[in-house]
Amino acid sequence: MDIILLGLNHKTAPLDIRENLSAPCGEGRHPLHDIREIDGVQEAFFLSTCNRIEVLFRVDRDTEEVISRVKEFLRQKGALPAEELHRCIYVFFNEQAVRHLFRVAASLDSMVIGEPQILGQVKEAYREAVELHGAGIILNKIIHYALRTAKRVRTETKIASHAVSVGYIAVELAKKIFGTLAKKSVLLVGAGEMAELAARHLMENGTTRIVIANRTFENAVQIADRLKGEAARLQDLERHLQNTDIVITSTGAANYIISKQMVASALFRRRNRLLFLIDIAVPRDIDPEAASLDNVYLYNIDDLQDIVDENRVMRQREAERAEDIITRELCAYMEWFNTLEAVPTIASLKDKTDLIIRHEWERSASWLQTLPDDDRHRIKALLAAVVNKILHDPFVGLKEKTADQNGKAYIAVMRELFNLEEKSSEKSSE
Amino acid sequence: MMTAIIHITLAGYLASTVGYWIALPVKRILVAKISTWILGCSFFFHSLTLIIPHLHGGQNPLISISGALSLFSWIISGAFILFQTRTKTRILGVILSPLILLVFFAASYQLTGDRLLPPHLQGPLVTIHVILSVAGEALFALVALAGILYLLQDHFIKKRRFHAMSRLLPPLEDLDRINRFGLLIGFPLLTGGLLAGSVWAQSVFDHLWLWDPKLIWAFAFWLGYAFILHQRMAIGWQGHRAALLSLVFCLVFLFSLAAIILIFPSHHMFSR
Repeated sequence: MDIILLGLNHKTAPLDIRENLSAPCGEGRHPLHDIREIDGVQEAFFLSTCNRIEVLFRVDRDTEEVISRVKEFLRQKGALPAEELHRCIYVFFNEQAVRHLFRVAASLDSMVIGEPQILGQVKEAYREAVELHGAGIILNKIIHYALRTAKRVRTETKIASHAVSVGYIAVELAKKIFGTLAKKSVLLVGAGEMAELAARHLMENGTTRIVIANRTFENAVQIADRLKGEAARLQDLERHLQNTDIVITSTGAANYIISKQMVASALFRRRNRLLFLIDIAVPRDIDPEAASLDNVYLYNIDDLQDIVDENRVMRQREAERAEDIITRELCAYMEWFNTLEAVPTIASLKDKTDLIIRHEWERSASWLQTLPDDDRHRIKALLAAVVNKILHDPFVGLKEKTADQNGKAYIAVMRELFNLEEKSSEKSSE
Repeated sequence: MMTAIIHITLAGYLASTVGYWIALPVKRILVAKISTWILGCSFFFHSLTLIIPHLHGGQNPLISISGALSLFSWIISGAFILFQTRTKTRILGVILSPLILLVFFAASYQLTGDRLLPPHLQGPLVTIHVILSVAGEALFALVALAGILYLLQDHFIKKRRFHAMSRLLPPLEDLDRINRFGLLIGFPLLTGGLLAGSVWAQSVFDHLWLWDPKLIWAFAFWLGYAFILHQRMAIGWQGHRAALLSLVFCLVFLFSLAAIILIFPSHHMFSR
């Protein structure tokens, strides 16, 4: 039996290939239907996001052939030339396949390390796999381990706690200053893309009003339509400065368009309410001297980029700790996987029945003592004989099945039905 | 019964203090939330310790240093719980809950014993005077504490330094809201307290005012309070300046009070 993970991601495949593959996957019949029908695929799990396609499946024989069948399916699905697809695709086997899935779920393989969406996407894909009967006993276990690993990484490391984009940093800073962003207003000066993105982030986090000022009024109107805000002329900047809490500037002007004097007088008129200025223009739009005013917090693009870089380094450091967690969880999984052999399973089931007999014997000790020794021995022999008879057929069946390639799944079912996992799962959760 | 309620209150404050301090290293908001609930329950029992003696019609427990301390911690505890409904300042619990615990612990030593008050100290005017003055002072202490945190956080954001400390501190505007609330509510309370005190002085000593160091101090305190409130509401000294001013005022008055108590004799003995 082999566990195979086959996929491509933002590192191995250019955007157009990913697009080709994920677009037809997103509509109509779920690709898992087709993958399940591929000859030789026993269980399957299919994950598709804008940055990756991953197919996890279990095969019991002719592994190489099944892999090429799945590849062929992907090629047809994306209508791609064979050699191009083969260049982009990676294939992982068994332990490496499981490790890769753990890393994906924990967001270590993402474009932005630590991003939060991937875990939800894996959960959703798992839900689909269960609904479409793709995930069986082995894949279930693997995905459960993957989700658990991802959660541990999220709670035990700080991988997701430092923002790594200028927009999010702006939101974090604004929250540090204002607490809640509800009832706060934003003034966007200029039409830079990054500035617009930052404004969007702020609006998603609750700011209620946005004013867009631009040298050409028509552009301001256009952006205002997009952001559902108000357009303003650059000449009115002073008046708007008085009524907003967060200002983002990104004009192409060669000189400062907001002087210290302008900020000071606006501050006076707004009775010193806190003012957060974000200047992402190069050359700068706001006189850096404005930062010396009380209750004014001025950040330029370098300040923000410094924070982004610092946080990237922090995430990278946390990613190393995350790899440790992944290795530990992988060990726990492998420990479980290695129990899927006939002999240890038979042994632990035998142990379990022996234990049950001993317990029941002790519980009945009081009345058993009233019997003569001979009878007690006979009862003991009888109990052992009944249990052995019951277990005989499953044991023989198990040995036969494990001679076949398909055995691990049977053993997994057996272990689950007789609840033999108890001991090993206790060990791994310690 | 009173002793039992005091013990429950103390235990509750202790539990919430421990909870807040555990929440810091383990980084679980739930722990801090539970601590806030525990603090809320302790506040309820604390209120009982203030109300019950009145129902029994016995001695007024407020007219003593321990009564005033108990009231002080009760006000801080209540104000903190009130803030939790309006602001993101749960982290203040780390500082305030041990403060409340300590002050109430110091107060609890004498809360149960019956003391005989001289007749001129009995009556509603003295009670009102104590309640309102202590409330005003407690709120001002909160304002000063929020001021310290504001200045720290302001420094971190201005200098672009972000570390564990700045992440923990509350947002600037929430701290400023505490400043505003403390001044707006605390000042009328203190004013009422001083008025009640002078009306009482009139009835006992036949003077509205005594040239006593402690009374001069109290009046100066009231003037300072009025000044900050005026600058804030009329001139618009918010944020940094309000925080700095409140803190400096608080420190100056604490030191001068300590000096006055140590150096001058006074009619107004807090500990009698």
